[in-house]
Parts: sequence; structure tokens; C-alpha cells
Amino acid sequence: MLNYFVTRLFRAVLTILLVMTFAFVVLRLSGDPASILLGPDAPTDSIAAFRARWGLDDPLWKQYLAYLKSIAQLDFGVSMRDRSPAIDLVLERVPATLALTVPTLLIQLGVGIPAGVYAALHRESVADRGVIMLSIFGFTIPSFVMGLVLVLVFAVTLGWLPSGGQDSWQHAILPIATMSVGGIGILARFSRSAMIEVMGQPYIRTAMAKGLSWRDVVWKHALPNASVPIVTIVGFMVGSLIAGAVVVESIFSWPGIGRLLIVSVSNRDLAVVQCLLLVIASAMVIANLCVDFAYGLLDPRLRAKAAAH
Amino acid sequence: MLIHRRHALGLMGAAAGSLALPGLSFAQSQRRTVTIAVQKITNNNTMDVWNEQSNVGERVFFPNLWEGLINRNWMGDQGGVPGLATSWKRLDDKTIELKLREGVRFHNGDEMTADDVVFSFSDERVFAGTQPDGGETLYADNFKPKTDKELPAGVPGVGRRLWPALRGVEAVDKYTVRFHNASPDVTLEGRLIAFGSQIASRRAWDEAATYADWANAPVTTGAYKVQEYRPDVSLTLVAHDDYWGGRPPLAEIRFLEVPEVASRVNGLLSGEYDFACDLPPDQLDAVRNTAGLEVQGSTILNHRIQVFDKVHPVLSDPLIRRAMTHSIDRQLIVNALWDGQTKVPAGLQFEFYDDMFIKGWTAPEFNLEMARDLVKQSGYQGDAIPFRVLNNYYINQVSNAQIMVEMWKQAGLNVEIQMVENWGQVLEDNDTRGIRDWSNSATFNDPVSSIVAQHGPNGLQQQQHEWTNVEMNELSNFMQKSTDRGARKKAFARMLEITEREDPAFQVLHQNCVFTGMKSDLNWKAAPAFAMDFRADNWNAS
Repeated sequence: MLNYFVTRLFRAVLTILLVMTFAFVVLRLSGDPASILLGPDAPTDSIAAFRARWGLDDPLWKQYLAYLKSIAQLDFGVSMRDRSPAIDLVLERVPATLALTVPTLLIQLGVGIPAGVYAALHRESVADRGVIMLSIFGFTIPSFVMGLVLVLVFAVTLGWLPSGGQDSWQHAILPIATMSVGGIGILARFSRSAMIEVMGQPYIRTAMAKGLSWRDVVWKHALPNASVPIVTIVGFMVGSLIAGAVVVESIFSWPGIGRLLIVSVSNRDLAVVQCLLLVIASAMVIANLCVDFAYGLLDPRLRAKAAAH
Repeated sequence: MLIHRRHALGLMGAAAGSLALPGLSFAQSQRRTVTIAVQKITNNNTMDVWNEQSNVGERVFFPNLWEGLINRNWMGDQGGVPGLATSWKRLDDKTIELKLREGVRFHNGDEMTADDVVFSFSDERVFAGTQPDGGETLYADNFKPKTDKELPAGVPGVGRRLWPALRGVEAVDKYTVRFHNASPDVTLEGRLIAFGSQIASRRAWDEAATYADWANAPVTTGAYKVQEYRPDVSLTLVAHDDYWGGRPPLAEIRFLEVPEVASRVNGLLSGEYDFACDLPPDQLDAVRNTAGLEVQGSTILNHRIQVFDKVHPVLSDPLIRRAMTHSIDRQLIVNALWDGQTKVPAGLQFEFYDDMFIKGWTAPEFNLEMARDLVKQSGYQGDAIPFRVLNNYYINQVSNAQIMVEMWKQAGLNVEIQMVENWGQVLEDNDTRGIRDWSNSATFNDPVSSIVAQHGPNGLQQQQHEWTNVEMNELSNFMQKSTDRGARKKAFARMLEITEREDPAFQVLHQNCVFTGMKSDLNWKAAPAFAMDFRADNWNAS
């Protein structure tokens, strides 16, 4: 079991290192921050001074070693735009993003999974058809379309809710609704499929044959077995709590991590982008690590397999 | 009257607020707040005029926050009007003396004096030890920050571009200053109007712990002061009631960063924003067709151009570049993409040059036959000419590029669009650099602020090794140093001939313009600029 966890932990650290390295190289090869930040009209001596100030005229390997060294000392660098510490800029935005993504996740879980399970247990019924139709509708509509339609209806036409910004709790309603729709659809579809597959298994027939109540069959046998694929999807959703609102934050002018990422990438604000990617990658990797551990706990066969190795 | 739930909540909040804040002055409550949705508040996340030399910076700085000794006449001809100086006179070709306005108060309550003007043009604030007029300049090796108050790396270069020969400013007495130039310059007054030459409080600078602290809320003399700046989110300016020009008409101006154009329009339609800026022409009808809203559009001191790289094997032949300039039906583009709201300018010049404006000069004539003939004369074999295009950095940039490629095709020219992501890629000096988009502004009312600054020997185009011309460079030097206005005008006319006809460095396409959607009852007028004037003279709403 320990071997199972250690292997996954090692993979997680390696993944984060690869993401950092990839981001470091690609960012520096895809555009000069001096030209981008100072603009097309900047004097050439200003460009040269800027490059010297931020070490951009050093060889790439030297810049990379300096970066690794500073990361090892938990120094995440300074924004080239306003010279604020990159980690401060990132952490300042995290609460705003979580204020959208956490309620979104809770709504997705609270609506998507029960809807999918209900549809599976009432297969071929009107409710089942309705859940399938709505879930396809939910996850096929791009969030930028959904967001604009909701704004048009609830802000422009009805005037019930604000169209953008972050001034009050009402401002969060439309972004959360926009993001929830897709996830509910995905979870409903996965939950339904998983439950249908499990309900056709011999052990369910056995459980029913031995006289267990329908409720016990579903809660004690079907749901735990159907949870493995659902946990995988939920893991992705939890991992994207930090970075999952890029489009929606732009549409609703919500000052979270997603908007900071867009602005920082377009300005090649290297320290901020690298810090963001590190935080995002860490969140994703940790979430997946938790999913891996959860597999081990949920499925005894995996524990046994790991122990056998 | 239909009262929505949100309005009802707002009314209840306002009622509660009025009970909770009895101390709020009656006068203050009479002034309203305006909310302005913009695509971008600043590019560099600072409120420093030397560090944020951008169109978006112009909008949030002028004329409400920053003021110069000579202000731009934003609502008029864009020339100079007395600002923090009441009068000025030339002592000689190199020196100008200005009398300061007495009783001007900074946002921190201090009176503005000559000492603040000297500081505003000092090494500490702008020039970082760089020498004037071709002397020792900013080299990367000797520019290392020593303290947090050290200037951003780009600032001294930007400062020297506007003031290449300024030796320094002398405080003659508390209300008199002299600007000393190292070489004769007829444009000193113009340089005082330009973006950057504004006055900041020395004490506020000294008291700030870091440059970032200072640049987040600089203390100036404008009608409004910075209350809160949240980079990439919002900027709140509040009235500076000691303003020398009279009590500001608004209690608060709130700029909100709303990057998506559809979101800005929706916010305006739903009544949340009073103004929505940076509207593209295809969104104008959505605003115009809504009761209570209107669109104000105006041309600005900025021309869209295409720049040629004459190092490129095909473009090295001036016949090809000339053919390209005559292949474009500029008026058709203005009508099709800009709803006819802007115009084709008279070459790279602006009417506010006044006596330096070359009357009778025009953009290259659209003449397909002439273009085809020039192509034929050049012996062009159909080799591809690359055209680097950003994804709508400029409004309509991609559509415009596609139209021009088709127009060039009609003349027999094979131009290929290369989509790139950023300016580093646009300017990258390699075999695939041919044509690129750009825009040129005039920062003050003389050709040296545009054609010399951008296409002369120290301009970006020549510094990027895209184009050069010996005669153009001699004329640029002459324009910068000569005080003979007649000879300067003749030289400018010749520069237009060289850069737009004989050995094209660029082609002018159209004048740029900006569109702002707004509530009609505000009775406010847009300036022919990005700047938004919220001083008393331009505000008449009840």
C-alpha cells in the first residue's frame, strides 16, 4: 500500500516539475516581454534596459537555474508590470475564484449526481429522457454562449441581476449558474452510465435475490461500485477549482485567477504566469493524487494489486 | 414606473445608507457618481504618466487626474492652453520661462511651487542620470535598481524620447521656472503639452515607501484624485474640492475593467454603466437603437498605417511598395468597416499642426491601373509578401488585413497574412518580415512628434532596421534643430514625399476613431481623443 502511495507522490512531483519547465521555456520562446509590456512605440534603449533589469538577456539555461533556485527558496518572483510579488498577486485572486468555483462544484454535485442516479434507476422513463436531453444541452453549450444568454435574459431584459462585476453576492449568481450547467450535465451523464452498468452486474441480482430492500441494494451495493468513475470526474472538477473559471471570469468581469492568467499571459508577465501555473498544476495534481488515494480506499482490488507488487 | 427587484434593493440600501450616514454633506450628496466600463484601465498597472504611455492611460489620466504647465485643449483644437502655468515666454531658442499659477493645491493639500516642477523633470523622477542630446545615455550595464524607489527600466528612455535635449529645469523663484535645452528647439512648448510632461508633488514622492506605492496613487493637481486603484479590476477617482479650476461636478468616477465588448454593451443596456468605451463599429446599432442611450464617436490624433520592411527581397524594390500604396481603396474600407465614421487623412500629418500642416497633400491615390503598371515595371514574379497581423490589437485589424490582401491581389501582388500573437513576434527581424500594422500618434502639434519620432533615425522603424533613407535622416535632424519655420515646413513636405511616395516607408490607411456608448441624459461630450473630460465645463447633467 505504501508503495502505491509513494509511486503516485513521485509522479505528482515530477508532473509539477515538468509543467514548470515547459511553461518556463515556452513563455520565453513565444514573445519578448519587453516589447509586449513596453508596447510597439517603446524606444530601443528602454527595451534594452528592461531586458537587463529582468535578466532576459541572460542565456536561457542561466535564467532557468536562477528560477529553480528562487523557487527552492520559496521566492516566486516579482511582477514585471507593477513590481508586486507574484505570489501576492496570485493569492489575492484565489478567494474571488473560489467564491465562484466552490458553490459551482457543490451545485454540480448536488444536482448532477442525483439526477444521473435517478435517471438510471428509472431507465427509459420520461424523467430519464428528460435528464439525457438536459445533460446534453448542458455540456454542449459553450460557457461563453450560456453566459451571454443569461446576461441578456436576467440582466438586460428582466433587470433582476447585475451583468458583471464583483460588488455583491448577487453578482456571483449568473457566473455560478453559467458554470454549473455544464458540470451538471457531465455528472448526470456519467452517474447514469455508471449506475446502469452496475445495476446490470450479477452481484446486484444476487443482492436482490437474497431479499435486500431496493434502498439497500442501491445505497449499499450499487452506489459504492458506481462511485469509482464518478470520483474520477469529480477529481478533475476539484482540480480545476482554481483555474476552471477563465472564460466565465472574462465574461462577467470577475477579478479571479482566470482573468489574472489571461492578462499575465498576454503581457508575458513571466513571474506571475509561472506562479499561476505552479499553483494551478499543484491543485490539479493534488486533486488527482487524492483521487488515486480514493481509488485505493474505494476499490479493495487496487489495494490488493498494489500489495501484490 | 417599473421597479425591478435589484432597483428596489438599491433603493432600500440607499435609504438605509442615508439613515446611517447623517454626517454626509448635502453638497456632496448632490453630486453624482459615474461608472465607466472600459476594456483596459492601464497596461502597466500604474498611474504614472511616464510608465503608462498608452491610449488607455490617456483616458484615465487626462484631464481629470494629471495636469501640465501647458494643458492640451482636449475639447477644442488639441493645441496648448494655460494649465499650471499662466504664461510663458521664450528667452532664446533654447530656453523658455514659465510663470506658475499661484494657489494651485495638490491632492495632499500642498501648494504647487517651482520646486515640484523641478522635481517632475528630474533624474530622480524621469531621466535617471541620462545625458541630453546625444551624450551619455541609458545603457543596460549601468542600469541596476538600487532601491525600491528606482524608476521602472523603460521610463528614462521614454523621457529622453520626449525631451532628448533637456538639460534641466531651474527654479527662478517660487512661481517661476526656466526650461534649459541643450540645443535650439522650436517645439519646447509642444513638448510641455505632451503625455508625460505633467506635474507631481515632490513631498508625496518623498513620503512613498516604494515606487509601486507612489505609482498606485500619485499626488497631482487634477480635479479628481485617486481613491482606490485595483489593477486589472477598477479605478476610483473622487473629487478634489480644492481644485484650482473650480469644484468638480462629480463626486466619483469609477472605471471598471470589462474586457469583453458584449459585456460592456450589456452592462450599458441594463443600466449598470453610464458609459461603455471601446465599442467596435458593429456594436453601435445595439446602443443607438436603445431608448435613453447614444453613441459618441470621434476621430483621434492617431493614424492607422502599414509599415514596409524594405530589407525583404520583394519589398526592396520601391516600385512594389508604391504599387501597394496605390492598390488600396481607403474610402471603401472606411465605409465598410467604420460605418463612414472616420476619414482618410492627408498623409501622416494632423490638422492641429496648424502652420506646419501641408495643405494639398493626400494619402496615395487609389489607382489600380497605376498599381498594375508599377508591378509590371518591377518585374515581380509573384513571390509571397508576408503580412504580420495581430488578432484585432487594433479594431477591425483582421478584417482590414483580409480586405487589403484582396485589393493587393487585384494589382497582381501576392500578400500572405501571418497571424502572430504579440509585438515581439510582429517585430522579429527575420526572412518572414515584410509588412506589419501600426498606428502613429502625434503627441504634440509638430511633425517631429510623429514622422520624425516614429520614422526618423531614432524612430522604431529605423531602429528595427526595417527602412532607412539618407535624405530622410538629414531632414529629421534639420527638423529637430532648426528654428526657421518656413524651412522646417519645406523639409516636412519633402519628408512626406519620400516616405509616402518615392521610397515608401509606410502607407497611411485611415484616421483612428473611438466610440463611446452612454446615457443620453448625461449631456456630456466626448473629446476627439481617448481622454474623457469630467471637469465642470463639460458636465451639465441635472
